Amino acid sequence: MQLKKSIESLSDLPTMPSTIDTMAWNQTGDWRYLTPLVANKLAPCSQNCPAGIPIPGYLSAVRNGDVQSGLTLLLAHNPLPGLTGRLCYHPCQTKCVRRKIDRAISVRKIERFLADLGTDVKIEKSEKIDKQVVVIGSGPLGLSCAFYLGCRGCRVVVLDPCDQAGGALVNLLPKKIDPRVMAYEINRLIRLADIKLETGAVIDFDTPGELLSKTDLIILDPTGLSEDFSVPAGAVAFNPFDDETVAGDIIAAKLSNNLKPFKAPMIAHYIAAGHLAAQKVFDCLIMRSGQRGLAPSDLDLPRQAVNMDDIKIERFLVSDLAAEAEAKQEGTWDRERALQETERCLSCGTCNLCLQCVSFCPDASIWLDENKTAVTVDLDHCKGCGICAYECPRGVITMEEMST
Amino acid sequence: MKKIVTGNETAALAAKLARVQVVSAYPITPQTVIVENLADMIGQGELKAKYMPVESEHSAMACCIGASMAGARAFTASSSQGLTYMHEMLHYAAGARVPVVMVNCNRALAPPWNLYCDHTDSLAQRDTGWIQYYCADVQDVLDAILIAYGVAEQTLLPVMINLEGFYLTHTSEVLDVPDQKAVDVFLPPYRPSNKLDVDDPKTFGNVCGTDLFASIKYKRHCDTLSVEKLWDQTAAKFYSHFNRSHSAVETYQTEDANVCIVGIGTATGAMRLAVDRLRKEGLKAGSLRLAMIRPFPIEGFKKAAINAEHVIVVDRDVSFGAEGIVAQEVRAALFDHHKDIKLTGFIAGIGGNDISVETIVPLVRQAISGDGAAAAAGTTLWAEVLP
Repeated sequence: MQLKKSIESLSDLPTMPSTIDTMAWNQTGDWRYLTPLVANKLAPCSQNCPAGIPIPGYLSAVRNGDVQSGLTLLLAHNPLPGLTGRLCYHPCQTKCVRRKIDRAISVRKIERFLADLGTDVKIEKSEKIDKQVVVIGSGPLGLSCAFYLGCRGCRVVVLDPCDQAGGALVNLLPKKIDPRVMAYEINRLIRLADIKLETGAVIDFDTPGELLSKTDLIILDPTGLSEDFSVPAGAVAFNPFDDETVAGDIIAAKLSNNLKPFKAPMIAHYIAAGHLAAQKVFDCLIMRSGQRGLAPSDLDLPRQAVNMDDIKIERFLVSDLAAEAEAKQEGTWDRERALQETERCLSCGTCNLCLQCVSFCPDASIWLDENKTAVTVDLDHCKGCGICAYECPRGVITMEEMST
Repeated sequence: MKKIVTGNETAALAAKLARVQVVSAYPITPQTVIVENLADMIGQGELKAKYMPVESEHSAMACCIGASMAGARAFTASSSQGLTYMHEMLHYAAGARVPVVMVNCNRALAPPWNLYCDHTDSLAQRDTGWIQYYCADVQDVLDAILIAYGVAEQTLLPVMINLEGFYLTHTSEVLDVPDQKAVDVFLPPYRPSNKLDVDDPKTFGNVCGTDLFASIKYKRHCDTLSVEKLWDQTAAKFYSHFNRSHSAVETYQTEDANVCIVGIGTATGAMRLAVDRLRKEGLKAGSLRLAMIRPFPIEGFKKAAINAEHVIVVDRDVSFGAEGIVAQEVRAALFDHHKDIKLTGFIAGIGGNDISVETIVPLVRQAISGDGAAAAAGTTLWAEVLP
């Protein structure tokens, strides 16, 4: 408590009483039952993306001129951006916070710009682990699964009985997807993950050749195989979204009803399914060989993408490629247009120190740190009114129940 | 300069002449013209002030309180439902001792919906601590707003200037508009000694324990009581500048009156005509206008009503289950001051009915003769009620 000024008579009393010292002694923090948590979070666009792509992250890299990092980040979460950039129903844009201000960020257009930019990406050969996986069918699910297993160091071979890779995507009309674009996308995917793709393959489980008999695991891709493909006896059905562990040596990936039959706009869901399948298959392979115990953190983050270091993109001349991409693909934005669009992104989920919270806090209980890198809530005085969370344009502040 | 203007136009003009610095208001019939005119004046650059459009009357008053605490001369206007929505902030303004001046355009409260004149809206704010003044004509509106700022800023209490909806707000009369220079001399800029100041941070309106609470309230009560005198002093100063008088109590033929008709607002004009007619009939009648209701101008009232034997109060409002609100005020003022005095209350003109000589005279006759069931029972007489 501060010293008290004693008022002895009415004439000493001011007309309009006010404090003679700070009110800091009045610690109103114990009135609070919800506490503002200032922490970076997944942006609404990413939350709504079936593949969980960190959209503000790669947009921010592009905006800052580091197109290569942006592309790498995108590819780490989505190995077929040229296809999603043309086919996906972009639920990310539906949840874009900018819709409240003017219009959503054209995520799909930027994705497509980046994809077309990186069609000639070169890679370094990555180190391998002693695991062999065969994926049968080269639909988006199979390719995605192969990609993530390849990035993790498995030796992966994709076999497709058809002459053209792409599975169900092959049947799409050329005006929906240019066959050349599909070829670019698939080529980049197999180069990045250092995997082998064999089309027109003869698959005979009754008399398996060396490849099929010596492989550690076989995965059947429902988006890559026709319905009359005869699933071998002993194949174990596996839903990547629902089933936690993988059993058997031949895994027949299966999809829930909303993803059947194949729907091209749902491509990000198939990519996510392949990604999850790869993760669970990889954990299973490691566990079976006893090379490594399954870390609980891996189970907690089922949608975590591969480490960006797993995708090794050599430095390339972005400007040359951009010029080439523009010449190649009609309808793809040029670099300038794409950069303009990335500048509109609010980077939701990431505090950019706009300090709206600081100016709106009625109790002056949230402030910019001395080193000016973050805001801090004064929990001794914050009453938990929640105005900061309401005003935060990026959803970084949320009101949480917390034990004191 | 003389102009023909309505009460609403006058109110806006008065705020401009007072050089208000912040206007924050929410439109409502019959007040809208005031804030529209002020918005125009500010938009055109005729009045250098900040106009703050808000989403409600509650916020309008909150803005005025904040502006006034920061040392600005603040103005707002409201009416009826808007005024009652502002109620919480009215208490705050008086408690915070901010000299905000507000115009209220008296209008009936719903339901049933009625946009016309009725004093219940402002009289229901009697106990908020605001000084309340009820205008009689358009000139009174202009002059009272200027006097109000003078009084408010001396005593640090808010003032509500009441205009009767449509009777005053929308009726054109001749107005003598004073020179801006003359007004500036009468009303210098507001310069509070204690205010919100980023260079001298303080907290206002903070917690107060039991030790000082009563003293703070008592001090405010004393300051409010002294406003009757302060108003008359300021009005006298106004008279010396502009040669027009506006005291807290206005009398007409009360010196020898046995019957004194008391009222507020524009109907006091009709009361004076009624006095003339009743005097022709041989009745020693007089009339008294309470320009101020809070503080109750007890000194002026006692002086004027000293000879009356029968006081008749015309109320354009009602406190349900009791009687007219002004009648209650007058009854309280007479208690213990005058023996053998009779009081009759009339409820007339609510919801926009005109209070004319023809309304008042028969009611006075009925009250004096004691004829009629209502008079016999000693209850309040209602005009314009179905049989």
